[in-house]
Amino acid sequence: MKTAFRLAFLAAVAVLGFWLWTIFFPGPEKLVLRKISSLATTATFSASDSNITRAAKAGNLVGYFTTDAQIIFDAPGQAARTLSGRDEIREAAYGGFASLPALKVQFLDVTVRIGTDKQTADVNCTARVTAGDSKDYGVQEMHFQLKKVEGVWLVIRAETVKTLS
Amino acid sequence: MQSANDHSVRPHWLRVLIIGRRPKATLARIVVLVATCFVTFKFILLPIRIEGVSMLPTYHDRQINCVNRLAYLRHEPQRGDIVSVRLSDPGGIANPSVMFMKRIIGLPGETVSFRSGRAFINGQPLDEPYVKFSCDWEKEPVQCSPTQYYVVGDNRSMAFNFHTQGRAERDRIIGKLFL
Repeated sequence: MKTAFRLAFLAAVAVLGFWLWTIFFPGPEKLVLRKISSLATTATFSASDSNITRAAKAGNLVGYFTTDAQIIFDAPGQAARTLSGRDEIREAAYGGFASLPALKVQFLDVTVRIGTDKQTADVNCTARVTAGDSKDYGVQEMHFQLKKVEGVWLVIRAETVKTLS
Repeated sequence: MQSANDHSVRPHWLRVLIIGRRPKATLARIVVLVATCFVTFKFILLPIRIEGVSMLPTYHDRQINCVNRLAYLRHEPQRGDIVSVRLSDPGGIANPSVMFMKRIIGLPGETVSFRSGRAFINGQPLDEPYVKFSCDWEKEPVQCSPTQYYVVGDNRSMAFNFHTQGRAERDRIIGKLFL
C-alpha cells in the first residue's frame, strides 16, 4: 500500500513537473499558436475604443510582421489586394482601424507545422471576421508563414486560401 | 414485525426517483449513456448550427442539424447530397469549428457551368427541384478533377460573387447532413 502510494505520488510530481516545464519553456508550436492568437487580439477593436487606442493597436499590428512581409488577400466578392512590406501594412491597418466602427478577428482550427530547421512555421487556420456590431460574419481560410527573427516569431507571409476553387 | 422491518429499510421516494432502487445499476447506466453520447456526438453525428442564407429555402438561418461523419464510409458522395466542407486542415480528423454547408451538383470528372441561372452538367441542364429562387448566374464551364466535387448553395437569388461555391476536394468533405 505504502509503495503504491509512493508510486502515485511520484507520478503526480512527474506530471506536475512536465506541466510546469511546458509553462516556463513552451515549445515552438505553442509559441506560434500564442503569436497567432495575439495577432487576432491586436487586430480586434470595439466601437468604444478611442482613436488613440486604435492608432496604438494599428501600430502594434505591424510589429507582428517582418520588414519584408507580404499579405495577399483574394477572397470571393472582394477586390484582390497585395500588401508588401511594413509600410504598406501599416497604412492599410491605420485605414482599416479608422474607417470600421468595430472589428472582431478570430483564428479558429489553427494547425501549426514547424519546419525541420525549427526557424520557420506554416500555419493554416480559418479566420472569422465580424465587422461593426453586425451578427453576420465572414469566414476565410488563411495560410501564414512565420519566421524566427532574433528569437521572435514573425509573420513573413499571410495569404487567403481558396477553399472552393 | 417482518413488514415493519421492510418498511424501515425502504429508501426515500425522492432518492428512488433520482438514483433508482439500485444506485450501482443507475451509475452504470449513466456511464454508458455519457460514453455513448460522447462517441456519437464527437465522432459520428457532429451537431451544427446553420448560419447564413446560402441554403435557403432548404435550410434556414439558426437551424440546428447534425453532420453524419460516417455517411461516406461505404460509398462516395452523390449528386444532390448536402454536405459539410471543411475550411482549414483538409483531411484532418478533428471537428472543425466552422464549415461550409453546400449541395453537390457536380461529380468528379464532370464539367459544371451556369447559363442564365441554370446549372449545366457536361452541357446538359440539371434538374434542380430544390432551387426555388431564380437567378441570372453565368459561369464558364469548369471541370472537376477525379478528386473534386462541385458544391453550391440552394439560394441562387444571391449575387454570384457573394455566393461561396466551387470545386471542393474530397478530403474536405466531412459528411452528409443528417436531417
